[in-house]
Amino acid sequence: MLKGILEGIVLEIISRGEIYGYEITKKLHALGFQGIAEATVYALLLRLEKNKLVHITKKPSDMGPPRKFYTLNERGFEELAAFWAKWDFLSERIHLLRTNGGEKNV
Amino acid sequence: MFSHEMKEKIKQFAKEQAPYYLEEAEMTYMEKVRRKTGETKSKLMAKLAKFKSRSETAMEAENDMILYMSDYMKDLMEQGLSEQEAFEQAKKELKFRSETTKSADLQERIVAHYHHMDIADYEAVGLFYGAFVFLGISIGALIGFIGSGGWEMFLSGGWIRTLIGAIIGFLIGTGLGLLSNAVIVLKRKK
Repeated sequence: MLKGILEGIVLEIISRGEIYGYEITKKLHALGFQGIAEATVYALLLRLEKNKLVHITKKPSDMGPPRKFYTLNERGFEELAAFWAKWDFLSERIHLLRTNGGEKNV
Repeated sequence: MFSHEMKEKIKQFAKEQAPYYLEEAEMTYMEKVRRKTGETKSKLMAKLAKFKSRSETAMEAENDMILYMSDYMKDLMEQGLSEQEAFEQAKKELKFRSETTKSADLQERIVAHYHHMDIADYEAVGLFYGAFVFLGISIGALIGFIGSGGWEMFLSGGWIRTLIGAIIGFLIGTGLGLLSNAVIVLKRKK
């Protein structure tokens, strides 16, 4: 489940505008997700690309190889919308469980 | 930014590690497609192999890792780490750890093995073992019994030869059972 949540967070970050790999990690750290390993984000970006959820633009970098910049494509936006729908459902149920023990009409 | 030697080290690390990540990403993608189409992994892999340019994809993953690692190292160096320390830290963080790919492959092979293994093969192997062991014990014990001098000698200490004969027969029987097992396995491989 956590894997899916991280994917949703990264999709949301990408949806805000063109961004490159390590910049996403920095955003995550700034959000307070310091515990996320570097390898996790790198692997996640490869998966998003493989699953064709992102559009990629390559730009020259001072490090040598061209740098990839990610934006969400149509499928990516659909996946993000599905993630938020799942999230809303989950958070509503958890809230219900926490406040009323799972009963809707108390 | 980095020394020439360090650039080479980063490149080497990316060359070693990126394929693992790529394999995992492809595996995850394959699992999704497989779930949708219901096809086996081997069939899909064979189909995809015709279309994908492996070396280009691998090179891209490698370049991504070089950049990612360099960015991370730059960040660490800005925090006060030396170039070498930053490299060691980045190496530790970016080393591929997941066993997903390997374990999924292994699981698939086990499933395929049991899927293709005919129950009759198991039965045949068991019967061969049983038959050879029984025959071995019987023949060994009989030779030992006769060789020791028959019933009278058996009672006055000759039983030890019968016992030795039975043990040798058991070992020969087990050996023949193993051989028959090997023959069945080799026949199945053809």
